[in-house]
Amino acid sequence: MNDFSSFVLKEAKHIVRDRRTMLILFGMPLVLMLLFGFAITTDVRNVRTVVVTSQVDHLTRQAVDRLAASTYFTITATVATPADAELLIRSQKADLAVVFSHDFASRHGGVQFIVDGSDPNMAQQWTNYATQTLLNPEVGLVDLKLLYNPQMRSAYNFVPAIMGMLLMLVCAMMTSISIVREKEKGTMEVLLVSPVKPLMIIVAKAVPYLVLAFAILLTILGMARWVLDVPLNGSMAWIVVISVVYIVLALSLGLLISNVARTQLVALLLSAMVLLMPIVMLSGMMFPVESMPRVLQWVSAVIPPRYYIDAMRKLMIMGVGIEQVAREVAILVGMTLALLTLALKSFNNRLE
Amino acid sequence: MTPSIIVDHVSKAFGEVKALDQVSLQVQRGEVFGLIGPDGAGKTTLMRILCTLLKPDEGSATVDGFDTVGQMAQIRRRVGYMPGRFSLYEDLTVRENLEFFARLFGTTVEAGYSTIGPIYSQIERFGNRRAGALSGGMKQKLALSCALVHKPSVLVLDEPTTGVDPVSRKELWDMLATLKPLGITIVASTPYLDEVRRCQRVAFLHQGRIQGTGSPDDILDRFAHIFNPPGIERADEVQQHTADNVIEVQHLVKAFGDFHAVDDISFNVKRGEIFGFLGANGAGKTTAMHMLTGLNQPTSGTGTVAGYDIRTQHELIKRHIGYMSQRFSLYGDLTVAENIRLFAGIYGMSDSDIERKTTALLDQLQFADHRNDLVASLPLGWKQKLAFSVSIFHEPSIVFLDEPTGGVDPATRRQFWQLIYDAAQRGITVFVTTHYMDEAEYCDRISIMVDGKIRAMGTPEQLKQQFHLPDIDHVFTHLARQANRSSD
Amino acid sequence: MLRHLIRKEFLQIRRNAFLPRLIVAFPIVIMCVMPWVMNMEVKNVKVDVVDNDRSTTSQRLVHTIEASRYFIFAGQPASYEAALADIEHGRADIAVVIPRHFGKQAFAGNAPQVLIAANAVNGTKGSIGSAYLSQIVTVHVAPAAASIEQHVATLNLYNKHQNYKLYMIPALLAIVIMLMCGFLPTLNIVGEKEAGTIEQINVTPVTKWAFILAKLIPYWLIALFVITVCLLLAWGLYGITCQGHVALVYLLAMLLALFFSSFGLLISNYSDTMQQAIFVMWFFVVMLMLLSGLFTPTRSMPSWAYSTTYVNPMHYFIDAVRTVFVRGGGFAHIAHQLAALAGIGAAMALWAVKSYRKNH
Repeated sequence: MNDFSSFVLKEAKHIVRDRRTMLILFGMPLVLMLLFGFAITTDVRNVRTVVVTSQVDHLTRQAVDRLAASTYFTITATVATPADAELLIRSQKADLAVVFSHDFASRHGGVQFIVDGSDPNMAQQWTNYATQTLLNPEVGLVDLKLLYNPQMRSAYNFVPAIMGMLLMLVCAMMTSISIVREKEKGTMEVLLVSPVKPLMIIVAKAVPYLVLAFAILLTILGMARWVLDVPLNGSMAWIVVISVVYIVLALSLGLLISNVARTQLVALLLSAMVLLMPIVMLSGMMFPVESMPRVLQWVSAVIPPRYYIDAMRKLMIMGVGIEQVAREVAILVGMTLALLTLALKSFNNRLE
Repeated sequence: MTPSIIVDHVSKAFGEVKALDQVSLQVQRGEVFGLIGPDGAGKTTLMRILCTLLKPDEGSATVDGFDTVGQMAQIRRRVGYMPGRFSLYEDLTVRENLEFFARLFGTTVEAGYSTIGPIYSQIERFGNRRAGALSGGMKQKLALSCALVHKPSVLVLDEPTTGVDPVSRKELWDMLATLKPLGITIVASTPYLDEVRRCQRVAFLHQGRIQGTGSPDDILDRFAHIFNPPGIERADEVQQHTADNVIEVQHLVKAFGDFHAVDDISFNVKRGEIFGFLGANGAGKTTAMHMLTGLNQPTSGTGTVAGYDIRTQHELIKRHIGYMSQRFSLYGDLTVAENIRLFAGIYGMSDSDIERKTTALLDQLQFADHRNDLVASLPLGWKQKLAFSVSIFHEPSIVFLDEPTGGVDPATRRQFWQLIYDAAQRGITVFVTTHYMDEAEYCDRISIMVDGKIRAMGTPEQLKQQFHLPDIDHVFTHLARQANRSSD
Repeated sequence: MLRHLIRKEFLQIRRNAFLPRLIVAFPIVIMCVMPWVMNMEVKNVKVDVVDNDRSTTSQRLVHTIEASRYFIFAGQPASYEAALADIEHGRADIAVVIPRHFGKQAFAGNAPQVLIAANAVNGTKGSIGSAYLSQIVTVHVAPAAASIEQHVATLNLYNKHQNYKLYMIPALLAIVIMLMCGFLPTLNIVGEKEAGTIEQINVTPVTKWAFILAKLIPYWLIALFVITVCLLLAWGLYGITCQGHVALVYLLAMLLALFFSSFGLLISNYSDTMQQAIFVMWFFVVMLMLLSGLFTPTRSMPSWAYSTTYVNPMHYFIDAVRTVFVRGGGFAHIAHQLAALAGIGAAMALWAVKSYRKNH
């Protein structure tokens, strides 16, 4: 066991001595968490709104005040004709115009929204919110209950996604690069010629990254809980256990890549193209899987982070029991075993 | 006693290329066995097969009685291997490297100290320095210590002295000699003739086949046309160098922090001269050369190259010099002709000139058939000849050559020097560094740098007389042994 | 001199086993797959309906929801708890609970409360889905209240067909430029550093500008090629064309390319290994991208984060290119962004050239 620990120690030194990479490895989670927690949101807020009204009666005024009071809208101008409002939108000075018809007060009159529809999604949300704010539909018709995330904060959705991405990145990319680097530098030859079992070389390489990944995991969870106020509703034990399975899966993927790649550049590009792009795009991290065409949904079915992110969203945010994520966990475990076997099988004891 | 190593009709092919073709040889226990042959002869492949890194396609090999295919584990416990590139972890310290390799073999530095003591004691005081910051000679000692720390019964060394200065090379072979009483079998490859002579037996490998096995003298004699080609004659020996100086340097210093890599050197080089700039690893040769070629700013001192100030007019200097660096510096993914056109174009030659001169050059080098070959696919010796030709293609007034012939076999080196002589004949000043002392004898004048200072300067004859030594090799060894520092 | 250096870069790109394929395959894959993926539209929301009333009125409501193209009808579980379990399992996103005596009270004009419980982990999906559902319910229950809504009309300027792809294609252009002009030159220069050939170039009379331009121009041309392919594919595959003048799109792309390639160069000047260069580059690119409004609206950001967009070239680019591509804006509409982009790009280029040193 002694030589094993010396192996791990050596690997740890490699990591620690590369300051810049270390800085990025730990800086990235912090920055991403802060950005997603505080800066990046899909919430509707500060929509630049123009009010178009020809006469100022009591009802119209009330409606405008309701708009102005909400955090969703910022009234930037009041103009007389829809044409003026359109001009403002066209010159990128406003996003939404609310046109009150002259007989708005009479209950027969209506409201027209002129909206910058370039982003159809946001446009629809703006009009939804505006309708609600303006018309204040008869209270009590519908009892709306937003489960798990009553304030609708984007962070709830993103935190599990960041975990899925970063753990994969650190484990898979870093391990593969570190193995390929030894190949490139020629030290792998010497390691292979030693009596140490190749399996041990690999496991020893993986251990520091496992620890690193674990530290990053704890950082993310800690920040989520105390800085971003994201609830950790589910069982911590299971969150950690599933994360460890996922980390092992990522390490196996990294090992597979390192078996294929000969140079660090290829390893980097492979990780970026085979891992990073599909993860960000197809795992449901940013873009919901349900909205994709059928074919892409099939593709996303083989992307491991999808299940991890799903499981984490359910466990952390929804706080469900482990039995509700049994399917995801089973798939993850299966994938891990398959990848691990494949990676170890393809590892070459010799140079060829 | 059974032989330590038996290679029986081993063949190995990489795609179309037959790296080894029916190779058979035996090495006795405790023997120092040399593998020699030109670049690409199959030496490295054979060594890798012995170390179980590669499987032979045909035939079999045993090491210490164990089969390299079936009994990999036993062999890996008994072999010490030092690949061509120093396989050290550059970001770990000397001590950490050694400890790691000791642990790798399930032993400790203390347990192995008796074996590595004579070598390791020389670098022990740098125990806390990172391996990446060591000079070539010290890296080599460390790598050897790492390969020996587990007391292997067979030691395989793949060109352990490439890029290492003559003093360190001698030290390495002295150390290998001390291993003899321990009964360690040594298989080593080398391009240096003096090292070949220190083996008990050698095998000459050429194009994947064993051409002959026997005592060093026997083999060197039998293949004299390759190992000891007739010396080259300089057509115009009595050239007058009374003309102007093309390089003038006064009190040049380059300091990195407290460390003076180049410590107050002064010298002149005359037009048309071949100036040999010698020194041990880490003596400051490359740094000095970088200042002359405008890559580095001097810390203090003055100098002119081709009449331009090295401090202020370095971009003008660059128009008038050619440069060929230690690391092979043509683009491997461009063809021969494309490389020539690129560098000629950079110096502003016209397309028609380039075209005409390219054809002439390739004819002269007998390279015309390879005009459209990728440079990466050429053998090392050819690449270096080509790199030199490219560096003087634009007819610079001075060409700087930084260890141009590292790792090349004697015959190719001889051809290379013929090219240098031709260039000098055309009036190009040649400023060259080398670790081959026979090449030093070819220079008009040489200087020997030790610890950042020039310790001796003059014609080879003058230096031999001054120190009362028979050849430059001895002069160099004599001076370089006085060095106190060993770092780059 | 420059001509020879540029020819060398092209030859090297062509000889590379990987780059030519990347350059051809990249825009095709991006254009064929990404518009489908980068879709924040809320679609296929799965709805559970718990009908505690089982009257004709309530059944009519159930049928209306079932018939809506917008929702996928997941089932009719027996109780709210069962529906909640469905949500936890991920079998449903929203549960609608129709209370007992719903039909009777609705007839009596007494507003009965229909419960809509939405999984709001993904806030956008939760809110859009539930808003649409409440609309259905409102119309159904209180046609009077709904009549107000009928007075609400929405006029979409631009993007009349609510095509999300039209909105996202400019973002794809930004990503393409970032990759082609940011990462590739960075790798290229650090690669020359590692191979040692840069030293050979440094002892030649090649000027800094020539060296750097020779590194940039080939990648600019490649980026232009790739953008052209992307625009053609957008037209061929999705029938989407640029609403404004296409020359403006190219102009913007060139300016963004100038920024990214200079930035990549800067990083490679300060890095020793490829790994370092890639990591640093990646770090900054992710930040620039996330804070640019490429995927999420910048105006929703808190003010401190919004203030970073003033120095974010990606933000100016995406703003301007959407104005041209989607809204059909002209030169006057994007003059401000053009100036900012040019300024940032030029500053970065100067810094990059300054930091590249042939003599230490």
